[in-house]
Amino acid sequence: MPDIHVEHLSKSFSGTKVLDDISFTVKDKEFVTLLGPSGCGKTTTLMCIAGFQTPDEGLIACGDDTFVDRGARVDLAAERRNLGIVFQSFAIWPHMTVAQNVAFPLRVRKMSKRAITARVDEVLALVELGQQAGRYPHQLSGGQQQRVALGRAIAYSPAVLLLDQPFSNLDAKLRERARDWLKGLQHTLGLTTVFVTHDQDEALSMSDRILVMNAGRILREGSPEEVYRQPQARFVAEFLGQCNFLTGAVTAGPDGEAVLKTAEFGDGIAVPEHHAGPTGTIAVRPEDIEISQPDAPGSGPAGTVLDASYLGDHYQYRIAVGTVQLSVRSQRPLAQGPVRVRIPPGAATFVE
Amino acid sequence: MTSMIERPPEVTAPAAAEPRARWLPASAGQALVWFAVVALVVGPFFPLVYSSLRSKPIYLPGGTFTLAAYRTLFADPLFWRAVRNTVSFAVGTTVLAVACGTALAVLCGRTNMPGRKMYGRLLIAPILIPPLGLIVGWLAIYGQGGYLTQAVSRNLHLPVWNLSSIPGMSLLGAVITIPIVYLTVQAALAGTDSSLEDAARSAGAGPWRVITRVTLPMLRPAILNCTLLIFALCLEILGIPLFLGTPSNIDFYASYLYRSWSSGATPDPSFVSAGAVLLLMVVSGLLIIRARLSGSEQRFIASSALGGGTYRPLNLGRWRWPSCIALGTFIGVTSVIPLLGLVLMSCVKVLTTLEVPWHLFTAENWHLVATDPTLRRSIIDSLIIAGGGGAATVLLVAVATLIAHRSGFPLRRTLAPALIYPRAVPGVILGIGFFWTYLMFTPGALVRNNLWGELIALCVRNLTLAYVVIYPSLARINAELDRAARSSGAGWWTVARRILLPILRPALLAAFVLMFITLLGDYDPVVFLQKPGTEVLGVTMLQTWQRGIVGPVAALAVVQVAIVAIVLLLGARVLRRLRRA
Repeated sequence: MPDIHVEHLSKSFSGTKVLDDISFTVKDKEFVTLLGPSGCGKTTTLMCIAGFQTPDEGLIACGDDTFVDRGARVDLAAERRNLGIVFQSFAIWPHMTVAQNVAFPLRVRKMSKRAITARVDEVLALVELGQQAGRYPHQLSGGQQQRVALGRAIAYSPAVLLLDQPFSNLDAKLRERARDWLKGLQHTLGLTTVFVTHDQDEALSMSDRILVMNAGRILREGSPEEVYRQPQARFVAEFLGQCNFLTGAVTAGPDGEAVLKTAEFGDGIAVPEHHAGPTGTIAVRPEDIEISQPDAPGSGPAGTVLDASYLGDHYQYRIAVGTVQLSVRSQRPLAQGPVRVRIPPGAATFVE
Repeated sequence: MTSMIERPPEVTAPAAAEPRARWLPASAGQALVWFAVVALVVGPFFPLVYSSLRSKPIYLPGGTFTLAAYRTLFADPLFWRAVRNTVSFAVGTTVLAVACGTALAVLCGRTNMPGRKMYGRLLIAPILIPPLGLIVGWLAIYGQGGYLTQAVSRNLHLPVWNLSSIPGMSLLGAVITIPIVYLTVQAALAGTDSSLEDAARSAGAGPWRVITRVTLPMLRPAILNCTLLIFALCLEILGIPLFLGTPSNIDFYASYLYRSWSSGATPDPSFVSAGAVLLLMVVSGLLIIRARLSGSEQRFIASSALGGGTYRPLNLGRWRWPSCIALGTFIGVTSVIPLLGLVLMSCVKVLTTLEVPWHLFTAENWHLVATDPTLRRSIIDSLIIAGGGGAATVLLVAVATLIAHRSGFPLRRTLAPALIYPRAVPGVILGIGFFWTYLMFTPGALVRNNLWGELIALCVRNLTLAYVVIYPSLARINAELDRAARSSGAGWWTVARRILLPILRPALLAAFVLMFITLLGDYDPVVFLQKPGTEVLGVTMLQTWQRGIVGPVAALAVVQVAIVAIVLLLGARVLRRLRRA
């Protein structure tokens, strides 16, 4: 199966830039997620790949096929791109049965009746809908509808699978199950997949690689761990879960690491990264901040627990240290009052 | 000069047959549909304007560009009388229709009047009754020799009304147009929150005060909207002056054009074209103002927003039953009695109060309808036009609607206005336009003297109705459904054929029923086109009536109403089955 190359994609709607020089590559069998808030351009990017939007500039190619090349005036029609798409609404045709929906791409390709029947049976078994073949869409549950959409998308073994927020129409419980199931299927079939979502949990749990987008640009690209641990941009850190930010002076530490000093953290916070410039901002995840008893020696500056909320598997605290407020996540129950707060080396990372 | 007009170049089919489907892009077919729609809709206006600017009719050799036609028109005192009559009629009708229609909509939509739901349905019925049927029915009962008119004057010796006066015609005009006001205002009422009225009541206002100070001011945009629409409709009305105005020699704009055309010294005089061009400009101007004021989308919501949300009705108190009875009487007098009169008139030798009707019973009218070749042919021709033309139009409009709203065709945005415009154009004008088109262009000659020409004119005139039904249904279909099909590998036409049109089936059927009913009753565009041998119902009724033969006309009107009723019942049944499936 081929790679997808997206190069220098730009698009404006009535003067507003929705895509601003987007470039990325999806490797064979890779699961890549476009993650970002609504309006960031992720769906527009996906629709450009699918052929339902035409970029103002740029190139999209899939293997040897050029889908769009504005420079060379190439724009392949959507129906000739051989992609499988699952839409947000699932877009199952209401006047066709489950089997007819799945058979449609095969019939359009003029396959023989017998081959169609065999393939439809196979695909329906794969998406666990063998029993529902003769049903109409309105007789199906949300999860089943999603599987019909997926079955239809993979029916003719497309080169690439595009997923446009396919879980947003499912309820929370079902969503988690569908996520695991889809990831398993993608892995088994070895489908090159581009997935669009605004849900960080979906992105982190399913992707081989995540592209975080905002305002038409890709801000960060990397594996889920890289993107979560080293967001690099403040927006990325905030979008993927909660984050504390501290700004201060940066000096060089004894082992070559950077040390950030603020009024509250006078001893400095060790950040094992190279940093240029006299000042900097670090991001610290709430679960990475250590809290200890006020009398514990050598465990960071003193703080005050302002309030606490119990969230089942952990507590969420708001702790004031000097003039800054930190959100901290911990398994330990704490009373309101004085504590000591410590940011261990390696917990923080520089952001722009 | 006329022979210099260029013939459209012959379209040659590409020779290569086999790979055609692949390299011919979907947009070629789309362009063909686009061209067909635009040519049919816009085409007739060029010959119309052209002929109004020529010194001689276009079929004669020679002639120069001149404004003489307009000068002739303005010099004709009869023209100015027709203009004055039309304006007074239009003002009277509009005031009456808007006042009554609004009152009825508020009564049925916001109060606790008994029977308001049933009345709501009955009030829109006149839209479905063929207009000529209603006019003939009114004449049979309330006309100068009408049954009730005679009863009041001869038997009771009371002073009597004159239906053939301008106020009389305005009354009938209002009855015909009230459903439009009712529907518009009712839709606006259904769309507004009745908690605004509740708020006024909890502030201490009584029902009357709530209606006058809150409800009616909220309705102002809707009322203004239908005021303009009805005024524009009144300017082009033809049936009322021809049937009612003839005895008292009152002509309106459209009937003036019609009479000048059919009784002029030179056939097809160009000042009629000039008059048509003027009327076209006035009506178009009015409708453009209306579109500016209301936003053209709104009228599509109107029909689907019927019977809106829950509300607490205003209490009419002791006026509940009186208003119910008054409304019942209104419907009886305006619709039920004329329809009964129509049936009665079709079964008697002459409708008179001097003799009890059963002494005058005769089967002769019906016998004539069954045997007279012209009358019989008019029924069959109208059925062919309504059935075949209706189906073809729905198909064409459906595809054009898909191109306008679901394709990447470069000129798609011009299609929606082209689909709306024909209904905004007065029917007589479109008729004159088509007359000249058939005369001027070679392809037109093929349909000039047969039923096809009339079929095309009637279908073009009414294709807006199909669009108005199909478009809202299409707008409700998620665009991801076509995208899913495209990404499955289907081209645009396959998506249209296999996905969108099948999903639209209920809307297509509804559009066909509406087209059928309208085509059966419409006649304005073909009064200039009808030739012996190509009769349609409406024009035949008109011409037979003008010869003073009334019984068979009533019988034809009864046939028309009966066919409409049957088609409506059948259509509703099939539609219910389609929706359930």
